[in-house]
Amino acid sequence: MATNSLRDKYCIVGVGETEYSRHSGRTTRAMAVEAIRKAVLDAGLRAADVDGMMSYQNGDSTPANWVAPDLGIRLNFYMDVVGGGSSTEALIGLAMGAIEAGMCRTVAIFRSMNGYTEFRIGGTGARAAQPVRGLDLAQVPFGMRSAGQNFAMTFMRHMYEYGTTSAQVAHVKAAHSKHASQNPKALLKDRVTVQDVLNSRWIVKPLHLLDCCLETDNATCVIVTSAERARDLRRRPVYVMGVAGRVSKPRTDFHWAHGPISRVAGYYAKDIVFGQAGISTEDVDVTGSYDAFTFTTMLQLEEYGFCKKGEGGDYVSSGIIELGGKRPNNTAGGHLCEGYTHGMNMVIENVRQLRGTVDDYCPQAADGVHTYDYSPRKCRQVKDAEITMNLGWAVPPTGSALILRR
Amino acid sequence: MPQPVQYRGMPLVIPDNDSEWTEYFAHARQHRLMMRACAACGLMRYPPSPACPWCMALEWTWREVSGRGTIYSYEVVAHAIQPGFKDATPYVVVLVELDEQRGVPTPDEALRIIGNLIAADGAMASEREAAIGRRVRVNFHDVADHLALPQFTLTDEAPVGRVWRLPE
Repeated sequence: MATNSLRDKYCIVGVGETEYSRHSGRTTRAMAVEAIRKAVLDAGLRAADVDGMMSYQNGDSTPANWVAPDLGIRLNFYMDVVGGGSSTEALIGLAMGAIEAGMCRTVAIFRSMNGYTEFRIGGTGARAAQPVRGLDLAQVPFGMRSAGQNFAMTFMRHMYEYGTTSAQVAHVKAAHSKHASQNPKALLKDRVTVQDVLNSRWIVKPLHLLDCCLETDNATCVIVTSAERARDLRRRPVYVMGVAGRVSKPRTDFHWAHGPISRVAGYYAKDIVFGQAGISTEDVDVTGSYDAFTFTTMLQLEEYGFCKKGEGGDYVSSGIIELGGKRPNNTAGGHLCEGYTHGMNMVIENVRQLRGTVDDYCPQAADGVHTYDYSPRKCRQVKDAEITMNLGWAVPPTGSALILRR
Repeated sequence: MPQPVQYRGMPLVIPDNDSEWTEYFAHARQHRLMMRACAACGLMRYPPSPACPWCMALEWTWREVSGRGTIYSYEVVAHAIQPGFKDATPYVVVLVELDEQRGVPTPDEALRIIGNLIAADGAMASEREAAIGRRVRVNFHDVADHLALPQFTLTDEAPVGRVWRLPE
């Protein structure tokens, strides 16, 4: 598919995040302010240089126009979008569009959530007892409400069609836990094995507890500006080569109506994002998948063409996705181990990978000096990473993607 | 219709202006599984919706289907999050592909519907009963005077294609 491309015209120049915890003890406003401030300072910007702000939420956060004034930021553009997963990449594209349209010059994109202590993502507590109306009537009355419950039949059908096994996808958790053991920020730093995943209790078959991501309190921020502006800033610019946002399968009202249900939205997104970037999967050094569940990583890597459709189980259990492998995935531990951010932390990590300054346990990591020793509590920098790709996920029929280069 | 209807601790809210669901569930209460069918191209669709996703026509009729189909996928909920389901675990949710309009208008499309796999007496079925390929029929669970939930029960019919269930 031919699309207009803004390849290499926009950059991510600053990233920042709060602690990943289950006890923030703060409002989403206070956390957002900290994450944005860190990203502004990381970029070497002043508050007055930021004139755009975007966020996404589901009634569980603080809007941009309440947060910006806390830092003395006057806005020429702001927008808060309804949504969770797949928003990160989509908003980066929208920020580029706002700047391209002349609406503003530099956009801070944040997500702030007390995903454990206030609005639990798993849908437990108050969320589980919400009134059921509209399209939810097609599934919620049957005990199908949480993300895991909404996705499990997709995973089950993939196992039926392709022979994918629980043990194969458990390698995703094992690999991401290996990466998290190199990440001082990660909520779960202990390595787990495939057997640990298989021995953990069932949540909704075919998902074990350890097939599911964390629930976390945190805020995250990335700052987007033009490549021209980026050249004067503190950090090595990271260029946007291609972006696709909330690309969807047919029938997002009830995607089960249009199969194959084991196909996810990346099937439709890949031509857009690779078309803009002008590269292929073989050019990608590091991937960042939306690992809400082990299975979502496998499905996305498959759909974007990192392996053939149906061979995702083999791919994720081959060692390719581990640090030291051909193309490591979620090198900070991702949603399964670092923390759950609705997609932001995988973009932040890839920006740091491309800068060569991943914040691992190497004493001089901030200066880009790494040992490339991938044993526990050591290094997680990928040597000479030049191109990264983020595979964003909302639900099986909707996803986003982002290709970055240094 | 009186609002809301309570089911397993959940308020089911179906406003009078939501003709799609009001009429669908009222038909279900008469133990008839009805699909909205396009008055122009004739194709049925589920869930009930205000326009035809294939030809954009706004005119529609209700058309009854047999309620028979095949389990296309399923899941077993071991850890319920909805309070009203805590005492039902493990319970099975099935995606049923109805016999009518399979592979129409494209090979990837079908009338598929979600429900619980229940025993003939209405209790939740054992998870050992669930398998892709097994045949089911609709089994209406009356909730209120004007609302029943279509659920599904296994039949003795020969399975369609390969029978598969998650290995133990």
